[in-house]
Amino acid sequence: MAARAETTPAWQRGKVASWLVTTDHKRIGILYISTALVFFVLAGLMSLVVRLQLSQANADIVSADRYNELVTIHGTAMVFLVVVPLLAGFANFLVPLMIGARDVAFPRLNALSYWLFFLGGSILMLSFFADGGAADTGWTAYPPLSTQAAGNGQDLWILSLHILSIASLAGAINFIVTIHNMRTRGMSWTRMPLFVWSILLYAWLLMAILPTLTAGLTLLLLDRGITLGPWDVQTNFFNPAEGGSPVLYQHAFWFFGHPEVYVIVLPAFGIISEVLPVFSRKPVFGYKAIAFSTVAIGFFSMIVWAHHLFTVGLPIPLQAYFMIASMIIAVPTGMKIFNWLATLWRGNISFDTPMLYALGFLSIFVMGGLTGIYLAAFPIDWQVHDTYFVVAHFHYTLFGGAMFAIFAGLFYWWPKMFGRCLDEKLGKWQFWTLFVGFNLAFFPQHLVGLEGMPRRIYTYSNESWEGYNLASTIGSYVMGIAILFFIVNIVRTSKSGPRIGNDPWQADTLEWYATSPPPPHNFDEVPYVTSARPLYDLRRKLRVERGAREPA
Amino acid sequence: MRRLLVFAGLVLLGAVSVPAALADNGGFTPVAPESPNAEGIRDSYLFVSIFVLAIFVLVEGLLIAFIVKYRRRKRPRFEDGAPIHGATKLEVLWTAIPVAILFLIGAFVFIELPGIKNIPSAGASGQLEITVTGRQFYWQYEYPNGVIAIDTMRAPAGVPVRLEVTAPDSDVIHSWWIPALGGKIDAIPGTVNETWFEVANPGTYTGQCAELCGVEHANMLASVEVLPEAEFAAWLDHRRAEQTAGEGELGKEEWEGVCAKCHGLSGEGGIAPRITGSIVLADPAAVEDLVRNGRRTMPAVGSGWTSEQVASLTSYLRESPPSGG
Repeated sequence: MAARAETTPAWQRGKVASWLVTTDHKRIGILYISTALVFFVLAGLMSLVVRLQLSQANADIVSADRYNELVTIHGTAMVFLVVVPLLAGFANFLVPLMIGARDVAFPRLNALSYWLFFLGGSILMLSFFADGGAADTGWTAYPPLSTQAAGNGQDLWILSLHILSIASLAGAINFIVTIHNMRTRGMSWTRMPLFVWSILLYAWLLMAILPTLTAGLTLLLLDRGITLGPWDVQTNFFNPAEGGSPVLYQHAFWFFGHPEVYVIVLPAFGIISEVLPVFSRKPVFGYKAIAFSTVAIGFFSMIVWAHHLFTVGLPIPLQAYFMIASMIIAVPTGMKIFNWLATLWRGNISFDTPMLYALGFLSIFVMGGLTGIYLAAFPIDWQVHDTYFVVAHFHYTLFGGAMFAIFAGLFYWWPKMFGRCLDEKLGKWQFWTLFVGFNLAFFPQHLVGLEGMPRRIYTYSNESWEGYNLASTIGSYVMGIAILFFIVNIVRTSKSGPRIGNDPWQADTLEWYATSPPPPHNFDEVPYVTSARPLYDLRRKLRVERGAREPA
Repeated sequence: MRRLLVFAGLVLLGAVSVPAALADNGGFTPVAPESPNAEGIRDSYLFVSIFVLAIFVLVEGLLIAFIVKYRRRKRPRFEDGAPIHGATKLEVLWTAIPVAILFLIGAFVFIELPGIKNIPSAGASGQLEITVTGRQFYWQYEYPNGVIAIDTMRAPAGVPVRLEVTAPDSDVIHSWWIPALGGKIDAIPGTVNETWFEVANPGTYTGQCAELCGVEHANMLASVEVLPEAEFAAWLDHRRAEQTAGEGELGKEEWEGVCAKCHGLSGEGGIAPRITGSIVLADPAAVEDLVRNGRRTMPAVGSGWTSEQVASLTSYLRESPPSGG
């Protein structure tokens, strides 16, 4: 490595330049996470404006136009620019370390992935300044609304998603090749950390579903009309006047969109499966069951998409099939939850911030899973579809689920990434404000949805909805305060946070065998892996050796 | 730790009960049903809720119990917990029980389904069919005798009403939804979907478009006014006569439902320009051209309107021109 460092041109060694040209998976992981956190703050601020507008009936904070843009970009950004890239960041940083490799299989492709993500994300955010403003047809962009939308916002939205898809696809290929080929000696499939299992499924799912999204978006773009050299192309795939079908797009979008939910939540599950055992001082309960359920969820997630289309008038037998298939997913998901509970059973539980987030995840995610049963039962969905009940449901899974798991992961791996740990006291303040704020913001949305409030309305005049909405708005600002705690925490500990060693949590997986932060080549040597808990085995071996030397 | 848990519990309870106290039925169940299909949906919702509540209490209860019971207390921080790797019997158990529960839920839904989906066979007074067309940003209803109404639907009590829900080819997707009268069904350009209701109690039931359809989506409200059968028949006849004459209530409905959502109730302007005193309003031919063909960002809100519909609007504008504000 030393020899290579000398051949690095001088201009690439600068503090900024070295980050711009890096192909180190750890630095790319950190780039992903920090960029995604910036987008998180931006998209979060958008939701605060939205909540202000809805806090009272007939409020006049933003115009209808602007409201629709904010809702659209908030949703699109949170999915494509925040949660997925945050998890991609974790995957980048952790997968090679966890499997005892020096880097991912294709480091340059990896860097390309990140920079494409950066480009796609910037396009989406800057589209607010486009002619006609940003896209305003919701993150689902259903035609004909999206084919008729004036201005360039919708086109930039399509462009951004096309670029992000390429970024994700390149990343997915990288993870698959890395995980299949670069595991260290002794790490068989059943000794692989559960987080790596979840990333493997994440990558395979992306490979399977992204092409469908890309196809759907391309048809949308062609229907909107583009100019190719001398030809003006204007197709009618989704235009009923010329024999097209608007519902076709919905199938394409949700064939991608539903598995995308699991692309998000599987790695979140993976983080939980790493954190819970370490802070319970136990092996994870039912390793094989959890790994199997990850595969099962990945598979079933691809055959349930039309439960998002229960109100378009599908034939009843089709709706019945999609109900049954959707319900089947509840079974492996339930398996995971019970295995996690059993992991706590008879443990020695410490409540450090990562564990608080993991437990918060468990308590909230259950709720998000259970409300999903109502949505799967199609006659009930006819009533709650496209209402705030659905908004509450997916925030319970995506914020309460994925983001809580991501915060667990951030507090857990922060010392590995930066060598310094985050402040525990601020972390706990953040957790409790976020937990309280979250439930205050989103629980009432179930109720107001059942009362008849549809989603994506910029105003309402029904005063009986005001109480719920005001509670929701207050909750969202409490969540904002929690995020402020996090920002303060990062800034305050960046120079002065305590250095707590290579393995502060006495964890079980290989990343803790490297120094904190790890050197560019990760490991000088990797111990032979004989179980799913290589570091636990190593510590026990050392204890035995020490015991032999100096008997108690 | 225990104090924190109590605190968290209280906060959760508050989050649940405060908004609940603010509204009459609390929002814990769907809006009180007034039609058999909405009733079937409400019953399915309640049936699912039994299991949802039971599982919620079980999981959260176990979680809290384990957190309290197996917390570290005075044990060394890194002392190992019990070396348990799994238990096949438990795995089978918590796979089989959810399967059984989901089977029960699925079975219940299929039992309720015919009552929700199928329109009851016509009674003594037959069945009424209404075509519902979703348009940016209003609902148009067409009765079998050609009577047209906007946004407010009148329907007879005690008679099954079949709704054929659609949207013009040039429009976007909307979704028809009156919560008390059943689930929603999308109004899709080029497709005709079907739903129904049968209401025993006269009264007004409100709802609104449930699929993002553009800038005024939030104001695309709908209501169903259920009248006693005789009163409904009288209303329908009266409207037939008015419409033939090209005057009356329809013009007002069109102004309020079609024009005013963007231009303001008295034409004072909103997301669209102020039109009070515009010379166009006094010129029936210009109004007809405008609503039929649209102009710039204004969609062709009246494309496909009958001449009676257009006449109703122009005569309304002539008699009560928007007075500004």
